[in-house]
Amino acid sequence: MSEQQPEQQPEQWPAQAAPAQAPEPWRTLDPRTIAVHCTWMGAPLGSLALTALATGGRLDTRAWITLAVIAVVFAGIAASGVVTWRRTRYRVTADAVELRTGLLTRSVRAIPLHRVRNVDITANAVQRVLGLAVLRAGTGGGGRGGEISLEALARPEAVRLRAELLARAGARRADDPVLAGADLRRLRYAPLTFWAVGGVFAAAGGVWRILDGIGIEPWRIGIVRRAFDDFGHSFLWVTVPLALLAITVLGAVGAVALYAEEWWDYRLEWTDAATLRVRHGLFTTRSVSIERARLRGVTLREPLLLRAGGGASVRAVAGGLGNTEENRRRSVVLPPASYAEALRVCDGVLGEPLGAPELTPHPRAALRRRLVRALAWCVLPPAVVLAVLGALLTPVLLYCAAGWVLLAAPVAYGLGRDAYRGLGHGLRGRFLLVRSGTFGRETTALDRSAVLAWTFTDSPFSRRAGVVTATAAVAAGEGGYRIRDMSADTAAGFAEAATPGMLAEFLEPSRSAVNDGPS
Amino acid sequence: MAGHRRSAQTQLMLRPPRNGVDPRARRWWTVQALLTVSGPLLLVAVALLVNSLLFFPGALPWLAPLLLVTCVLPAVAYVLAMPRLRCRIHAWEVGEAAVYAAGGWLLRKRRIAPLSRVQTVDTVRGPLQSRFGLATVTVTTASTAGDVRIAGVSDEDAEWLATRIADAARLVPADGDAA
Repeated sequence: MSEQQPEQQPEQWPAQAAPAQAPEPWRTLDPRTIAVHCTWMGAPLGSLALTALATGGRLDTRAWITLAVIAVVFAGIAASGVVTWRRTRYRVTADAVELRTGLLTRSVRAIPLHRVRNVDITANAVQRVLGLAVLRAGTGGGGRGGEISLEALARPEAVRLRAELLARAGARRADDPVLAGADLRRLRYAPLTFWAVGGVFAAAGGVWRILDGIGIEPWRIGIVRRAFDDFGHSFLWVTVPLALLAITVLGAVGAVALYAEEWWDYRLEWTDAATLRVRHGLFTTRSVSIERARLRGVTLREPLLLRAGGGASVRAVAGGLGNTEENRRRSVVLPPASYAEALRVCDGVLGEPLGAPELTPHPRAALRRRLVRALAWCVLPPAVVLAVLGALLTPVLLYCAAGWVLLAAPVAYGLGRDAYRGLGHGLRGRFLLVRSGTFGRETTALDRSAVLAWTFTDSPFSRRAGVVTATAAVAAGEGGYRIRDMSADTAAGFAEAATPGMLAEFLEPSRSAVNDGPS
Repeated sequence: MAGHRRSAQTQLMLRPPRNGVDPRARRWWTVQALLTVSGPLLLVAVALLVNSLLFFPGALPWLAPLLLVTCVLPAVAYVLAMPRLRCRIHAWEVGEAAVYAAGGWLLRKRRIAPLSRVQTVDTVRGPLQSRFGLATVTVTTASTAGDVRIAGVSDEDAEWLATRIADAARLVPADGDAA
């Protein structure tokens, strides 16, 4: 839409005289944005302060140079922040939202209001303290071209603007119920996420990098050294389980804290008949609005640990949530919660009950392929390496190889069987259901009318096993949803049943079915 | 197995697309294989052999078989098998309502996209392809997992494909996704 449109009015015409057609005045962002802009200098300044503390205030030449560089950069950033703030203007005209930016080159981006699909408000910790919020309005077209980001506005202004944009985007108001709200009992699922284990290592890595950055070598610190000397060697059978326990407890506590921060004040609701909004966060509040027309389905996620604890989380399959990374972050509509609640939220988001999904299992060949894969890729390589080394060097390694096989083979077998049990596909109402995965099991319900294309992939191995992987392409979520290793005989028929008419002209009765009917 | 028997009577299979690739495509893929994979591999083998012949004749007894297995045989197998398999598998067809393409050599990929969902039709001729009078037509949809690629068609076919699909996409009313 053209940005020249409102210029029909003569320059001297007072704006309030003709409110219907007068050009909207350009508005500036909140001046406190400049302060936010400068805050990322906090990290280097902080590390410098730590260095000063650690060295007792005696800074060497290098530190002074660093300080000088930081000062210069700081001045530069502050100046550019002021200029950027002065140059950035936005307005909402009768039919578009427009943003004028540019430090050196000026650019104007306009998004027609009827194209606005989602409006998000986010705020990081600093912005929250200052009472600011970032508003992003997107067309859902994908890529950065279809998005306007106002960074940052005063919070009330952002809320008002979102309401205005969504109202003008053609959404109707309705009093649909809240699908899910904050619930402290959900915290018990927090330790069942990856962060319970990975978080400890991530935190340890972070601490290590900070110490390394300010020049402290951890193994030189007296306490650490003494602790290691005292416990490290002597009682390994006590130390190792104790260390594991400590890591687990630490991880669980960290995971609960992270969960609480991210999902504080969580609320999932239909703000009107056409907009689903999820809002959460303690220090950083996140709010994502998804338009119903962009909603293509839901994914019920049950990672291994969470599944063992009887929990699940839910993601929306929706277009226009950004690239893969952003989509992963913004599509979550229910954090890890009980399975029953997850199903309820799925139904609420889809607008019709799916019930517990009952799916068509896949042929036995799929089980065989999973078992072979688990054994050949996970159990065999270490065993072979150990055996070869053992044969060359010392027989101890041979015992290790045997032990590994005895230990890993049953685990691999169990995981392979679990992966097979997870496979399934089916049709339910207007949805296509797909389930797969063992470590990250996902059940996805896709709107059948949203399927843009079908792909059938097979390899020489899978052809011999009589299975094929069918992929339903949609312009939402992860793009393609795979039905892995379904029977090659029924794949095309199933795809045609899911999307009537799409494959019809390329189908023919199967020769094998004609020859040996009841096989 | 019981679940599959019921559908066995009315089972429908996907047939291969009607139109194969241009006969020149085989030469194109052969040259491509030589330039990208087989040629460099053979060059490495020859260079190593010549070097060892000149400077380390003692290494030949183990180096020659090693190179044969790791470089020469894979290179020859690739340049012989890949174009042949591609010619057998690659095919395309534009139906009443959908475009259908098969591709790949070891991994076979068959993709069907309805014409009503087509967004753009791109025709690309690489420097090598244009020498053989070939082109690659890519039909894009709104999903990255839904782009249909038809490689190794003759220029005339590519032109026909592009106009045919673009016309059809215009005629068939776009559903749902455009707005």
